[in-house]
Amino acid sequence: MINLPILPILICLPLIGLIFILMSPENDDFSLQSKKSAIWTSLSNFVLSLYLPFQFNKDIPHFQFVNSFNWFNSENLKLTLGVDGISMPFVVLSTFLILLCVIFIYPQKKKNMRMYLASFILLESFLVGTFSAIDLFSFYIFFESILIPMYLIIGFWGGDRRVYSAYKFFLYTLLGSVLMLIAIIFLYQEFGTTSIARLLDYSLPFYIQVWLWLAFFASFAVKVPMWPFHTWLPDAHVEAPTEGSVILAGILLKLGGYGFIRFNLSFLPDASIFFTPFIYFLSVVAIIYTSLIAIVQKDIKKLIAYSSVAHMGFVTIGIFSANLQGLHGAIIQMISHGIISAALFFCIGSIYERYKTKQISNFGGLGLKIPKLSIFFLIFTLGAIGFPGTSGFVGEFLTLISVYSRSTLVAFLSAFGVILAATYMLLLYKNVFLGPVNSSIEKKAIDLNFNELFTFLVLSLMILIIGIKPNFILSYTTSSLDRIITLYPITIF
Amino acid sequence: MIILPEIILSIGFLILLCFSPFVKNQPYRIIAYLSLFLIFITQFFVVKDIFIFEEIFGGFFIVDSFGSFLKLIILISAGLIVFFYLIVKNEDSLKRPEFPLVILISTIGMMLMVSANNLLSLFVSIELQSLALYVLVSFSKEDINSSEAGVKYFVIGSLSTCIFLFGSSLIYGLVGSTDFSTISNYMTNQSSISMVLILGLIFILVSISLKISAAPFHMWTPDVYQGAPTIVTAFLSTAPKVAVFGILIRLLVFPFGEIIVDWGKIVIILSVTSMVIGSLGAIMQSDIKRLMAYSTINHVGFMLMGLVPGSEDGITAISIYLILYITMNLAVFLLILNMQRDQINVTNIKDLSGLYKSEPVMAGCLAIILFSMAGIPPLAGFIGKLLILNVVIDSNLFFLATIAVLTSVIAAFYYLRLIKSIFFDPPTEELDILTNNQSKLLMIVFAAFNLTVVLYPKFFLNLSASIALSLFALK
Repeated sequence: MINLPILPILICLPLIGLIFILMSPENDDFSLQSKKSAIWTSLSNFVLSLYLPFQFNKDIPHFQFVNSFNWFNSENLKLTLGVDGISMPFVVLSTFLILLCVIFIYPQKKKNMRMYLASFILLESFLVGTFSAIDLFSFYIFFESILIPMYLIIGFWGGDRRVYSAYKFFLYTLLGSVLMLIAIIFLYQEFGTTSIARLLDYSLPFYIQVWLWLAFFASFAVKVPMWPFHTWLPDAHVEAPTEGSVILAGILLKLGGYGFIRFNLSFLPDASIFFTPFIYFLSVVAIIYTSLIAIVQKDIKKLIAYSSVAHMGFVTIGIFSANLQGLHGAIIQMISHGIISAALFFCIGSIYERYKTKQISNFGGLGLKIPKLSIFFLIFTLGAIGFPGTSGFVGEFLTLISVYSRSTLVAFLSAFGVILAATYMLLLYKNVFLGPVNSSIEKKAIDLNFNELFTFLVLSLMILIIGIKPNFILSYTTSSLDRIITLYPITIF
Repeated sequence: MIILPEIILSIGFLILLCFSPFVKNQPYRIIAYLSLFLIFITQFFVVKDIFIFEEIFGGFFIVDSFGSFLKLIILISAGLIVFFYLIVKNEDSLKRPEFPLVILISTIGMMLMVSANNLLSLFVSIELQSLALYVLVSFSKEDINSSEAGVKYFVIGSLSTCIFLFGSSLIYGLVGSTDFSTISNYMTNQSSISMVLILGLIFILVSISLKISAAPFHMWTPDVYQGAPTIVTAFLSTAPKVAVFGILIRLLVFPFGEIIVDWGKIVIILSVTSMVIGSLGAIMQSDIKRLMAYSTINHVGFMLMGLVPGSEDGITAISIYLILYITMNLAVFLLILNMQRDQINVTNIKDLSGLYKSEPVMAGCLAIILFSMAGIPPLAGFIGKLLILNVVIDSNLFFLATIAVLTSVIAAFYYLRLIKSIFFDPPTEELDILTNNQSKLLMIVFAAFNLTVVLYPKFFLNLSASIALSLFALK
């Protein structure tokens, strides 16, 4: 078997596609040629990324497909790429969702379509880079560079308050990550290396761990987002264009959870134990409080945005329970939320495209108007509630089992999140799709076009597959997670 | 002939000066072209001798890699300014053959400055470049703002000169010499350093802070930047900053390297205040030139931070940061120079709105430059910041590093504001920026340079490392 440098290819291919997109002539807002280039780029990148799961050795907990480049002049400061069981699913998820976004964009018209597609393709390169970087500096560079295309996507193609939301998104995230930069430089000075694999062998005194933990926490808590750092999320989601929201909810939020597993939990176990009650507190508040806020939202997109905060609360609880069920639950919950929230935002995009409104009060009886969409929306709603058989159930169930062994109270309180999720999602479904047709949406609308149908079909299949056979992802992650757990000191409380 | 570059530039300048009255047709263009040519030739001679180390005129001046490298940056930025002068539409008052010539004298002053090895020669060369700059700032005689800026700059500059002289006289009184190596030897031999010497150093530091506009000595910067003709502001914010920074580094590392404990604290204070004032002051500015003034103050603060440990790595980091800062600043000023509506220069940020529509290529390049100035990876500005932070954290100054990153978040806000105007705001009235193809090309070159540093930082790191090494060879 030839040894393909698959990760560098996955990062560089979008950059080559980017040149084709930017070179294509732009005569109107439809810009067919740039769309073709974008489809080919993202499709080939997705197909290539499938090389990872097929060639992945499930028994090795360490990084695989490692490629290293001497980019800086220091021996210890390299651009190193590689994946293990934790990051591999996210690399595939990124290429998958970007492909769906491009498919979804295909029939649309937008101002400056060429630049829009270019931003997404650039984003793809950075996202793959972030998940596959196994060197702290490379990770930071990719992690931060995501801000640039995302800022442009929200600010240029967003809704009415797009500029405000774009600023808020950018500055919140930047503020968190610069503190992480200091922590990274400190680790480099302390151990003379930034390779994640080598840093795992060292341990630090407790008081330093606490400071480093807080620095990493600042960055990832904003990204997840955890209550009370979540306020940028509703704004960014509501104002971002559909595909922007999809990527934001589908992948960017997962960077936070991924970072928690990769850095806080693996490097700083003592501090992680120390801060676990703190994390539990913030997560429980996030689950209950943001669910309650979601119930009273008047805007569909805002409701889904708040529900994201609640769902990510389960992720952080699962991660810091630090046992196999918890981490499995967190990863499944992240991937499932990545798919479900992406699907819901796609649906909202389709609705908005037809009626130019996102206010819940303007809807009612939409099921009679666009029946196919209403069926898919029901599947996604059930997924978001955590209905058995969907991927949402697996994630929440595993998380709750794991936290039950740590703290009954936390498990009890966070279980309310499941009930509240059912409340706001079913209310939303009832108000939008059921009942008599609202007067404001009486005009005739076309049901789903082929691209939308395809997108929704693929996403609902994914939800069901993961829901019925989660092992299809978990088998990859087990050995890497086992390694983290064995390094984790035995918990006392 | 070690000082051939300076000699060529001086003689060439004198010839051009005598020649200029006899040019009939558009004398300013001919002279500017010839000056550009002269600068180009001088660059060649600087590069030729870049690895030579020699003291000349009995230790009055010194030629080393560090100085030659800074001379190269100064010449490149002066050359680019003259080139800008040729390709953009200037006000009528600037269209005089004296303009490029005054830039030449100032450049000679700066080149002497970075190779000064004696407080006296340092003083003379600072004066040479400053006097030329006073003239440049007040060059548009009809413009009242320009004259006001000239007076302000002159008064502050003279004050700075007085303070410098006072400081040097204190040092001379104690050491008995103005020679750098004698000062250095004096300090090595002394068991305890007299307060008078430190006081003298503080005076010199204050004077230099006035020149590089480090807060709290920055007050003149926004006014002068705003009042001076834009092309002069572009010059002010680049070449003189390199020269003064160079001499600051040389002074602190070599003759006063022994008392790093004393000046370290002063530099920390200067750098913290500069970063805070530079980032907070710019938030509410609506004039892009004033904004760039605060941006300069912020960047200067960041660079000063790298000086605090007084180490070789610090100087390496500052050298890289200087190159990046100069190129990014010149790119932004190229934009400002092109901001004209109905043949009149406009400098409000609002005038930029909707630039991407009329000028997509220029807007794209500017996005790269501005994100880079904000220090967002993977662009080059981040590499500069990373290197400096690395040095600061290496010497356990976590407090300083935290302030630095927090202020750079605040600073990111106003670069984002520029990007917002360019991309997100609907176009108001179109600027007549369209005409200039050379500017567009030059902008692409600046953006491409930025990406080159990202893709191949090794070359620049090795270059600056060898330069820093030459500076420490003196010790």
